[in-house]
Amino acid sequence: MADHKYIGKSAVRVDGKVKITGAAQYVDDLEFGPGLLYAAIVESPHAYARIKKIDPSAALKLEGVVKVVTGKEFPYRFGLYMHDRYVFAQDHARFVGEQVAAVIARTPELAKKAAKLVKVDYEVLKPVLDVETALRDGAPLIHPELGKYQHVPWFFPEKDTNIAHFRKVRKGEPLKGFEDADEVFEDTYTVPRYAHCSIETHGAVGLFDHSRRLTVWAASQSPHTQRHLFAEALAPLGITHNDVRVIAPFVGGGFGGKAGVSMEILAASLATTVQGSPVKVLWSRAQEFYNTYQRQGVVAKMRLGVKKDGTITALEQKLYWDAGAYVEYGANVVNAAGLSATGPYNIPNVHIDSVCVYTNLPPGGPYRGFGYSEFLFGLESLFNEVAKKLGLDPVEFRRKNAIREGDILNYGGKMNPSGLHECIEKVAREIDWGKKRVSSDPKKAIGKGFSLFWKAPAMPPNAASTAFLKFNEDASINILVSAMEIGQGFLTVMAQIAAEVLGVPPTKIRVETPDTDRNPYEWQTVASHITWSTGNAVKNAALDAREQILKTVSRALDRKVESLYVEDEKVKSREDAAFALPLRDFVINGIMMKDGTFRGGPVVGRGMFMPEFASALSDPKTSQGGKPNVHYTVGASAIEIEVDRETGKIRIPKVVLGVDCGKVLNPELLKGQVTGGMLQGLATVLYEEMRFDDKGRLLNANFTDYKIPTAMDVPDEIVPIFVEHEQPDGPFGARGVGEHTMIPAAPIIANAIEDALGVRIKSMPITAEKIALALKEAAALRKEEK
Amino acid sequence: MAIQEAFEYAKPKTLREATKLLRKNKGAMVLAGGTDLVGYLKEGFVSPSLVIDIKSLAELKKIEFKGNALHIGALVTFTDILESKVVAKKLPVLREIAEKVASVGIRNRATLVGNICSAVPCLDSGPVLVAMDGVVHVKSTLGARKIPAEKWFLGARKTARKPGELVTGVSIPLPKGKAAGCYLKLGRYQGEDLAQASVFVLMVGGKKPEFRVAFGSVGPVPSRGRRIEKSLNAGESETAARALVGSEIKPITDIRATREYRLHMCEVMLERAVQAARARLTGDGPAYGAAII
Amino acid sequence: MKKTIHFTLNGQKRSIDVAPTEILLEMLRERLGVKSPKCGCDRGDCGTCSVLVNGRTLRSCLMLAVEIDGAAVTTIEGLGKDGEMSPLQKTFHERNAFQCGFCAPGMILSATELLARNPEPTRDEVKEGLAGNLCRCTGYTPIIDAVLEVSRKSGEGK
Repeated sequence: MADHKYIGKSAVRVDGKVKITGAAQYVDDLEFGPGLLYAAIVESPHAYARIKKIDPSAALKLEGVVKVVTGKEFPYRFGLYMHDRYVFAQDHARFVGEQVAAVIARTPELAKKAAKLVKVDYEVLKPVLDVETALRDGAPLIHPELGKYQHVPWFFPEKDTNIAHFRKVRKGEPLKGFEDADEVFEDTYTVPRYAHCSIETHGAVGLFDHSRRLTVWAASQSPHTQRHLFAEALAPLGITHNDVRVIAPFVGGGFGGKAGVSMEILAASLATTVQGSPVKVLWSRAQEFYNTYQRQGVVAKMRLGVKKDGTITALEQKLYWDAGAYVEYGANVVNAAGLSATGPYNIPNVHIDSVCVYTNLPPGGPYRGFGYSEFLFGLESLFNEVAKKLGLDPVEFRRKNAIREGDILNYGGKMNPSGLHECIEKVAREIDWGKKRVSSDPKKAIGKGFSLFWKAPAMPPNAASTAFLKFNEDASINILVSAMEIGQGFLTVMAQIAAEVLGVPPTKIRVETPDTDRNPYEWQTVASHITWSTGNAVKNAALDAREQILKTVSRALDRKVESLYVEDEKVKSREDAAFALPLRDFVINGIMMKDGTFRGGPVVGRGMFMPEFASALSDPKTSQGGKPNVHYTVGASAIEIEVDRETGKIRIPKVVLGVDCGKVLNPELLKGQVTGGMLQGLATVLYEEMRFDDKGRLLNANFTDYKIPTAMDVPDEIVPIFVEHEQPDGPFGARGVGEHTMIPAAPIIANAIEDALGVRIKSMPITAEKIALALKEAAALRKEEK
Repeated sequence: MAIQEAFEYAKPKTLREATKLLRKNKGAMVLAGGTDLVGYLKEGFVSPSLVIDIKSLAELKKIEFKGNALHIGALVTFTDILESKVVAKKLPVLREIAEKVASVGIRNRATLVGNICSAVPCLDSGPVLVAMDGVVHVKSTLGARKIPAEKWFLGARKTARKPGELVTGVSIPLPKGKAAGCYLKLGRYQGEDLAQASVFVLMVGGKKPEFRVAFGSVGPVPSRGRRIEKSLNAGESETAARALVGSEIKPITDIRATREYRLHMCEVMLERAVQAARARLTGDGPAYGAAII
Repeated sequence: MKKTIHFTLNGQKRSIDVAPTEILLEMLRERLGVKSPKCGCDRGDCGTCSVLVNGRTLRSCLMLAVEIDGAAVTTIEGLGKDGEMSPLQKTFHERNAFQCGFCAPGMILSATELLARNPEPTRDEVKEGLAGNLCRCTGYTPIIDAVLEVSRKSGEGK
């Protein structure tokens, strides 16, 4: 392994001081002067309704109200992967909270007051609130026009149904696989919807100035994708990509929620109606819950064929996703999960149906884990049940079937370098697998759970990253990229990569959040692919700059370019130890020759990365033939829990997560992803849950009743283990890891509960209440039997 | 979010001035900690014409022990209770209660009296007052009244306070003998939560120990468990007392918990709270605030 | 009717006319340009709007601006001295005790109050002291560690 000076070290965050002093500006902190207008949204109170009439007259009478805007002004459909979404509801409102109109006013209070005065006549329709109802014959069609919607070539909507996309994966001979099995097990597991809960809510400010320039400031994971979607959606107004500029200040958490375009379209669109005045749209916490992307719920029906020795012969996974009212982004979650729904196992015969179902609930979409957490809960729970019935140790069962480098993936291609087996061994050792502790308190039971996990970036095959890198007079550097710092430490890692290539310490490298006018293209900050993809672009930009530097020195000072290298902010020579030319002497001004002329000039590097080997095209009936995934990051995780037999309450003494994300670029930041992701995952299984009533209204759109963990809810110990099998095409061998750390949380808990109490709970969340009542029921049953 | 409906603001310097303002302004509301009131104002749940900020009334900021009762003024915050030496000495279980109210940033402002004035069913301050025969002190220009806690809570968010009356404090009579208590609050996780259910137990030592029991968050108002008290006072075990819980409370299912879980957990909490109180009485119980459920 | 209030903000004397309906958080952000207290939930659940009033953290979203008449208000801008960050700020920085940074000002103010009240807290006391400040990124462990480290170091200095 090469010796690195900055890579693999825990460089302190380059965005540290600005955040820790309160200087960091988030979108709501920006000033827009006295002309700033505020929008408030008129929302549908019904899950499904026909909009008969909108009467804005009472609202318009209030002094200070500038405009009321409805769907009539913006009859355009748009979307990331499928054009099924509108700026405002058109003839139908499809979920509670959907934007039906907006009031623009001079103060936020006035806008809000006026929004209540906009009168909307609805014809209330019977909503479809779950996948079972949506798939029934004769179910109301939520999108009767589905057959006409434009979408990416790898989606397969079924017109005249509520199925927005149907991903089929067929590998080997599933029928024969089940015939060959000694035993076949089947079960159904369910997962509800979840909310991202970034502490910063969504917000965006749009300005359509008098030159017809549209600028949007947004709390965003995806400035360029937003620019593209704004330009596409508003093209009928004559707006082009060249007219649109997206500026993304710091973001107060993303977790997938601020990817794509959700409420930001409102700021962009409304701005065009009040030319010359900026308009702010700021989501309240409640709106953040009910009108942004939500993590989709899923019903997973599984069958598993196994030999007596634990070898898996076949898996059937039927995943029915509650994707909500609009699936322009969420359908790709369904797609990605479908392709990988075996988990990191080498299963010869596979039958997967991953079905994206429209419902009258808020739109589903990207959420850290992108479908993998959801299917893994059932799959890894079932694996434990199967191991138990076969009399096998659950870890042994996994060891036997876990995938290895070169094994054939569900869609054909081969598995990338993987330290999965090493992760299994190290995690099992760390959690003391096989040793059962007994609590001194008879009320408490102790159990352990184990699970593997994997995930690949879900992205279009041509998702690209680019970078500019420019030197300043003192040889400090500015890097311009358009991926987003959403907390993960992206800016710091980019500085480390450039530092390593250019011999300049990260503290002298500034990387800031983007402006699409100035910073080069990036697809989106999602899919745990930024370290890998943007990292490659930055590395390429740094290499480009280094080449310019060495060539200039070679040319001006007549030294062989091969003999030159950079180190400690100087160009040095392998042939002449005395030679050391500080970068600051020439990276802007060039090198002066004897005749007073100069060679070189300002050094500006440029880098790009796009995976040219990926393809999303494959046989729609089997998914065979393409290469939809660029690589998988894999790992294993285990937990020890102590559970109170009466109350169902769980204490977590220890969690272990072993992951192979290739070369670790910054161990401290990676640890941050493990502790943060794991806690987020544990919360989804222990208490978080979106609860809807029978009218499709979200009952807990606040932190009072949608509980996210506090400092008191952390496990006693979280042990991260890093196994480093380098990714051949990653920057210094790195692969992505941001999402993975929360993916195994649900099954490790579920399996540990079963280990401790003998109770298998098949629906998330596994609350103390569910455990206590299940135990009570089990006790009552035992009593009856006696 | 700003407050939409305008109101006037007054900060009286004397109690007299405050009660006068209250009498004169039918639409007036009293502001102490404001953690409930300001929230309600923002949401538009209430729209008073006048908000009377009583924080200048220093006499209401006191915690005192006199006449064998603990007096807690209307401006005493939960943080004050946690930091009070008098409380630590005379009624340490009150600290256990205060500590379970929300989090530091709320406790620094929120008052116990505010808690009982809001009178939401999940309030933490209710069970102890009901169980220990607490008294609510109110004043108006017409005079003063003392209202027993059990008669104070009339329903969810409904109290016996009459228009024009200002709550000046509560007092909790302390039992003669040595006593120890326990307050258990069921939440959905370890962090700050509104009670899914809560149980308060006080055990007074002696040859024939005497018990006080009350439940919170399992009905519109905090309720005393008299059948349970009788059984425990008669020397029955806490395990036996569990069977009586169903006869004392009729919880409902809502977003925070089901009826079944509330009932089940009230049984568990009752048993554990009695055990903890008993152990504390002899000095070897779990520390106040320690995790028991 | 507007009322003129006088108070100290980060050590400086200020006076401003406020309407009774004004919320402290909004006054600080919109009228005085102090942007570090953030609005995360607008109802006291998340703690990002925390400010120190007379040394105690309060939810500025649940407080009328008029109530701070005569008080001393400190936001994170006022924690440092002579251009130096406070020990807590420094340690948060060094230990990666933040990610997106949105909760950091409120979190650090809560930690500041905690250590002022209780200079040598146990791990559980730190957790309890910070439980009112939500952070979705870090999993809290690095935050708790940072607070304990500052406490330990200041103990050693004595």
